[in-house]
Amino acid sequence: MTGTQSSLPAPVARLWEPLLERSRSKRALLLMAPLLVFELLLFVAPFLILLRISLMEGAPDLRYAAGTWSLDGYVEVFTNGVLLDPIIYSFKLGLAATAITVVIALFYAYAIWRAEGALKSALLFSVVLPLLTTLVIKTYAFRPLLSPNGTLNDVLLTLNLVSEPIQFAPGTVGVLVGQIYIVLPYAVLAIYSVLSTMDWGLVEAARDLGASRPRSFVEVVVPQAMPGILVATVISFAWSVGAYAAPGLLGSRDLAFAIEVEQRLLSNLDWEIATAYSVVMLVLMLASVAVLTVVLGRFGGEVEYA
Amino acid sequence: MHREAIENALFRAGYLAMLAFMLLPLVVVVVTSFEESGQLLFPPETYSLGHYRAFFAETRWLSAFDNSLLVGVGTTVVATTLGVTAAFGHELDDGRAGQLLAPLVLVPLLIPPIILGISMRVYFVRVGMDASYLSIILAHTLWATPLVYFVMRSVFSRFDWQLLDAARDLGAGPIQSFVYAVLPNVKHGIFVGALLAFIVSLQEFVMALFLSNHSTQTIPVVAWKALRQSLDPMVSVVSTFLILISVVGIVIATIATNIEWLSKQLS
Repeated sequence: MTGTQSSLPAPVARLWEPLLERSRSKRALLLMAPLLVFELLLFVAPFLILLRISLMEGAPDLRYAAGTWSLDGYVEVFTNGVLLDPIIYSFKLGLAATAITVVIALFYAYAIWRAEGALKSALLFSVVLPLLTTLVIKTYAFRPLLSPNGTLNDVLLTLNLVSEPIQFAPGTVGVLVGQIYIVLPYAVLAIYSVLSTMDWGLVEAARDLGASRPRSFVEVVVPQAMPGILVATVISFAWSVGAYAAPGLLGSRDLAFAIEVEQRLLSNLDWEIATAYSVVMLVLMLASVAVLTVVLGRFGGEVEYA
Repeated sequence: MHREAIENALFRAGYLAMLAFMLLPLVVVVVTSFEESGQLLFPPETYSLGHYRAFFAETRWLSAFDNSLLVGVGTTVVATTLGVTAAFGHELDDGRAGQLLAPLVLVPLLIPPIILGISMRVYFVRVGMDASYLSIILAHTLWATPLVYFVMRSVFSRFDWQLLDAARDLGAGPIQSFVYAVLPNVKHGIFVGALLAFIVSLQEFVMALFLSNHSTQTIPVVAWKALRQSLDPMVSVVSTFLILISVVGIVIATIATNIEWLSKQLS
């Protein structure tokens, strides 16, 4: 076996030599160190810098005035309606998209859980494929479907359900549909992965005891799926609040936070406003997620003991 | 019995409608790529391969393909290396570092991409690395590593660690025992993790938009900019290629493991 040692590249072997003498836990730490350093350098450090720039003074002709301290950026965010309105729009969109997504996802995850064989694979495939498709494709595909001369309007007109075309997209309806489509795969899989560990016998027992099928779903399946529902809610909400592609391609006068902040940042002026804007949005989002978690956790607990 | 039959029918209709909703947008994209006119209509009135011919003549799209490939391969290498080593280390010793690492790795996935993109751009401009390939690779690694990491944690947790101890007892060094005892048993997991990392990088768009310039932009970024000008069926051609790559990737990953396991790793 000693011959194989030389087959390793020399630099790697040199790096490993000192590790041989260390204890197991030190070696484990060294194996985790690269990822820890990476996360600190590329995730924690950028956020600290973002925070620091948001506390600087603005400078004419410059991105920011280095070395200064000021709350001007935050004052601007909270007093300027042009900046406040997109935050309100984004939170409304986030709430609407999340509520609809979680209900649909719960149903679809349940259907996947109950399905077997080829049908189950097909249903799972229909979730995994959109998940691994770029946002851009997922969004613009709705344009030919929802525009005034699009497929949906053709169908509605042929069936005489409407007398003239409705402009779903570009418009708020289009934004909502697109955003739901974007987050739905993540929500379905979050709920499904919890359901798949659940015992079907429990549902059968409830039915044997006389519960109707909708009732056994609400009183047995939903409480059990609560951890998955929680994850689905948090992901759907966090991503919908920050929605960029859907309002950008499917909206008409839909000024979302992401669109406004992009314009501010890419204009390369007043970075203290753009960064303060991002910090405010992130704090509001995290606070909402915390509230959602507590509320859903309590709701889940109540149902369980009922 | 009658009521049960109605419930069954409604249930089936419900999930089949959902199946259609999930796949319809992707079908629209593929079908409109065969559109003959310059307008995006579904279903198209006449079909042709004209946009495919035009695609292979446009350097803008071809260089975007090269950029995407470069960034994708770079992300795969960095994310797989970081993810596999860290998951292995975590499995060897579940101390305090491991408890800190798991949430730290997960959090970037829960932050809206737009805010990550902004913080990354500000950061890379500050350190003088904006618009480089490396900046996009590192940003994508932030998203791809959690996938590799959690796939590998799941794989390592099913691995029989006595094999590693046995190899050590028989006199193998740490590298030898990893290469001969661990690697053959987890190579499927590493492969699937790397594949997911590549696809995530290929499809990622918001961070790439913030971090690229005219010469480093990836396919989704070029598609986005084209779409903001006009609804160009050419974008459907590019999108068809992207969807095809994901389909092939999922099929390969499914053969290596199975779709149920793959789905759980993605959640």
